[in-house]
Amino acid sequence: MNRKKLVVIGAGMASGRALEHLFAAEPHGWDVTLFNAEPRGNYNRIMLSPVLSGEKAFPEIVTHDDAWYEEHGVTCRFGEKVTKIDRAEKTVSGEEGEPVAYDKLLVATGSNPFIIPLPGHDLDGVIAYRDLEDTNAMIDAAAAPGSKAVVIGGGLLGLEAAAGLKLRGMDVTVVHLMGHLMERQLDEAAGYLLRKALLDRGIKVMCSANSKQIIGVDGKVKALMLEDGTELPCDILVMAVGIRPNTGLAAEAGLATGRGIHVDDHMLTSDPDVLAVGECVEHNGAVFGLVAPLYDQAKVVAQTLIGETAHFVPKEVSTKLKVTGCDLFSAGDFEAGEDREDIVFRDPGRGVYKRLILKDNRIIGAVMYGDTADSSWFFGLMKDEQDISEMRETLIFGPAYQGGEPLDPMAAVAALPADAEICGCNGVSKGDIVAAIEGGALDLAAVRAKTKASGSCGTCTGLVEQVLGVTLGDDFVIPAAQSICGCTEHSHEDVRRLIKSQELKSQAAVWQELGWKSKDGCHVCRPAINYYLLADWPLEYRDDPQSRFINERKHANIQKDGTFSVVPRMFGGMTTSDELRAIADAADKYNVPTIHVTGGQRIDLLGVKGEDLPAIWADLNRAGMVSGHAYSKGLRTVKTCVGKEHCRFGTQDSSGLGIKLEQKLWGAWSPHKFKLAVSGCPRNCAEATCKDLGVVCVDSGYQIGVGGAAGMDLRETDALAQVPTEAEAIDVTVAFYQLYRENAKYLDRPYKWIAKVGLDWVKKRVIDDLENRKALIERFELSQTIYQKDPWAEHASERADAYQPLASLNLQAAE
Amino acid sequence: MDLALDAPTRTFIEVSEVWVPENDKLVLAAGNYGSLENFASISGNESFAKGEGLPGKAWAEARPIVLKEFEGSYFKRTEAAHEAGLTSAVAIPVFDGELLNAVLVVLCADDNERTGAIEIWRDKDDALMLEDGYYGAAKHFEWVSKHTHFPRGQGLPGGVWASNTPILMRDLGSGYKFIRSDSAGKAGLTTGLGLPVPTPSGQEYVLTLLSARGTPIARRFEIWDARAAKVGKANEAVLIDGICAREGPLWNEESERRATAWQGLIGRVLGSGVPVVESKVPGLTAGYDSMVALPIHQNGELSHIVAWYV
Repeated sequence: MNRKKLVVIGAGMASGRALEHLFAAEPHGWDVTLFNAEPRGNYNRIMLSPVLSGEKAFPEIVTHDDAWYEEHGVTCRFGEKVTKIDRAEKTVSGEEGEPVAYDKLLVATGSNPFIIPLPGHDLDGVIAYRDLEDTNAMIDAAAAPGSKAVVIGGGLLGLEAAAGLKLRGMDVTVVHLMGHLMERQLDEAAGYLLRKALLDRGIKVMCSANSKQIIGVDGKVKALMLEDGTELPCDILVMAVGIRPNTGLAAEAGLATGRGIHVDDHMLTSDPDVLAVGECVEHNGAVFGLVAPLYDQAKVVAQTLIGETAHFVPKEVSTKLKVTGCDLFSAGDFEAGEDREDIVFRDPGRGVYKRLILKDNRIIGAVMYGDTADSSWFFGLMKDEQDISEMRETLIFGPAYQGGEPLDPMAAVAALPADAEICGCNGVSKGDIVAAIEGGALDLAAVRAKTKASGSCGTCTGLVEQVLGVTLGDDFVIPAAQSICGCTEHSHEDVRRLIKSQELKSQAAVWQELGWKSKDGCHVCRPAINYYLLADWPLEYRDDPQSRFINERKHANIQKDGTFSVVPRMFGGMTTSDELRAIADAADKYNVPTIHVTGGQRIDLLGVKGEDLPAIWADLNRAGMVSGHAYSKGLRTVKTCVGKEHCRFGTQDSSGLGIKLEQKLWGAWSPHKFKLAVSGCPRNCAEATCKDLGVVCVDSGYQIGVGGAAGMDLRETDALAQVPTEAEAIDVTVAFYQLYRENAKYLDRPYKWIAKVGLDWVKKRVIDDLENRKALIERFELSQTIYQKDPWAEHASERADAYQPLASLNLQAAE
Repeated sequence: MDLALDAPTRTFIEVSEVWVPENDKLVLAAGNYGSLENFASISGNESFAKGEGLPGKAWAEARPIVLKEFEGSYFKRTEAAHEAGLTSAVAIPVFDGELLNAVLVVLCADDNERTGAIEIWRDKDDALMLEDGYYGAAKHFEWVSKHTHFPRGQGLPGGVWASNTPILMRDLGSGYKFIRSDSAGKAGLTTGLGLPVPTPSGQEYVLTLLSARGTPIARRFEIWDARAAKVGKANEAVLIDGICAREGPLWNEESERRATAWQGLIGRVLGSGVPVVESKVPGLTAGYDSMVALPIHQNGELSHIVAWYV
């Protein structure tokens, strides 16, 4: 029998599988010549990661050894690049030897790793992660004690490289451009758990990090510099940012190419005697990087070669990460959308997150971390497009119910050591309380009587009750606290405490570790969590505008006719003729219908159209004015009287102090709005005694009162302290504000918060304990380095587009 | 492949035995004594109260223990061990939470020819330090190991520690070029099995078995994953890694190997939660003479089984 001549370019996994199918179907039908640029035959490339980590040896991942090629009569031209395909002559030329004739040609040139063209990308030590040579280069780099690696790319390959290098003993940092790891396969919640697992392996992870330049010395890589100036020293830099189909040879031969080599359903290229398979192909606009569809293609290639009719039909693919101990699964489409529903299951204790995305009662996506036992079942339902409405209620638990209790605060309390302080006011430790309980104090009142715990401010009441619960078990029933919303069983107080104690620094961390029942919160809990996070972790957490109400998102108060009000800040209620002129000009320019002087001594321009906001802000900015934050849960105004500079009764420079306070505090977010006033004498023209914090100047100094209100509730301030100097008045004010920021429940004004914690508790921290006052001020100043920025300037210059109205379809139709 | 060669040779471990609690004492449940019949017979008549002898001490102290000198120690079978040429032992308690399921004891014969390592690493100051180890003739490697520590995620012990998963490493000597690896290569150590040893106190230990070509600890290693998060509630385990001198790589991404409770020896470990030691039984995997299978209980479930065959 005449054997047909098949030339194969590329000895990768796809062509290898095609040859297996071909030899199985026609064992003696083909003379095969196999070119491979790598100096070896087919090996399981996706198992290079365990070879890198040492969990596999290279010989284990060889798919076809010399004996296999010999057995099937394959002429191997390994280590030899193909230089030309001559389709007219039907020959393939390698770097060495005569051109090889073919009846059929299979192009399987795979893909090339994408190298970001950063300055320094060609330095020695900058490598991609594609083949055994790259793997060995990394193993060699790990040989030097104390050596460092930077991996650019937090996708599958980058993370596998990072884990392998770490196991080899290197100090590894992953730099990822996007906000969370493996963003193409995982949602933010799963990305959070993965990041946590990698941090636990000692791998540093930097997300939202933009690489700027690779720094070298004597032609060798030395560090990666990020956009923000951070330098990450490294002895090796691995770029794992994606692949591109290798189409060069096919394109030179005149085959149709786009992103990849164009193939039809039979894996035929634009030349019917030339087939293509694997990562080099483009089929119906899609290119391929995972192995499952490549194996499907390989089967079709073999069938086409032997003259059978076969069609390649892309199927759903799933992803797994080969890092020992990291169990994740991802398949399908997991983007949120109005026509989609989520089913979410979290088990914080086990680090489990499961999310199914449903559309029209069918699973269209699945993301799982920590528990992948049911992934095949879900994947099957997804591929079969099965209607799941009958089992919807229990779907997330898989074919068999998987138990698991969300972390409750009791677990955290149970884990506290005996010397952990429960009652800060009275210095009572958990051990003291347990001893009291064991000594017969069986309820809160008895514990309070015996230890004084929870006897002062009362903020630790819940904690003391939990210690009672942990110690007494079922004998003690903890009074139920009101949860924030339906997404969680936790109260505001529990969440604030757990955010601090568990060091939860992102929304994803809160949702996961506290067992949120929804995917990412609701309109009730998100603003609160966003506030708690930015207040407790100003450096690590970034404010999420999507978690704010419209007024705070737009940085203006929306009015009942849909227009907005604009209030420029006038520090201490003082202004100048230039500022007034600029305000008047802006009012004219933007046809502001109403101008109002507010109770807080500001000028309110009412009736500004949404699309005009950036422009009016820019105009006011140019006149030196910034946002008055008249819409925010933060510092509103410091109202003042003119003080001793002008007033006959004035005792101190009240307007001067008001300006200084406002300059210090503006821009900070707080649990609710925060209003101040400074009156120059006890006649109190600035109405300081009904503000959240009011200063009344007297001859001997400054009387500071807190917890006033003049809205739905009316109450006079309580005296916090009298201090002799202006500097101390400022310190006390800042410290009080920070204490409120750190401890109050979201949407509690100071008077409500003080009613809960007690004025004595506040005094102890702000007035008596000078060290604590200093620490509060330092933490506030640190936060202000991030948050004291004018939102007008930022929005006018960077986000103006967001304020433009949508196109009016009515108008277009009319035209 | 740098696997332990399958040639007739002496093995690093001479005796393996499983002690299980019964009426406040540990009694012998299974043992492989090779040709050491006298030691086998004395052991069969022995039992250990909590704190008594090596198994009782591992129970009482709830931690793995290496004993390298029997004479004058708490070891109860010193005379018989001496007669059998056994000089060192390692006891590994198998706890399921607070409950002791069994103590696995392995005994080795000291001579200057057998090389291998059984090491216990302990978390101290955020790094794993060598608690103790038995190295046979690998004296330089022993010295290097005593002066090495592993941060989380680094090296075989650090990798096991960070992932709470048994790990099987290949080419210990050739692939790893830092000092301990260099020394491992010189000592002929090729394959390393590391596994977490959970204890009721929460103190974290990692056990490593490092096998040399000439005097292997085993010729076949297997790691089975039995976590519900991996296999569901089916009381099954899936083979996630393994190598065999006779059958080559045992892992297969495309065709999963599963064991079900009470089916076969791995199934017996799954069902009972207790280690299995078997020898000279018909139908032992790949025709090997003996095997040891050790369960690991974590987070309230049997999470993994490691098995080695000679």
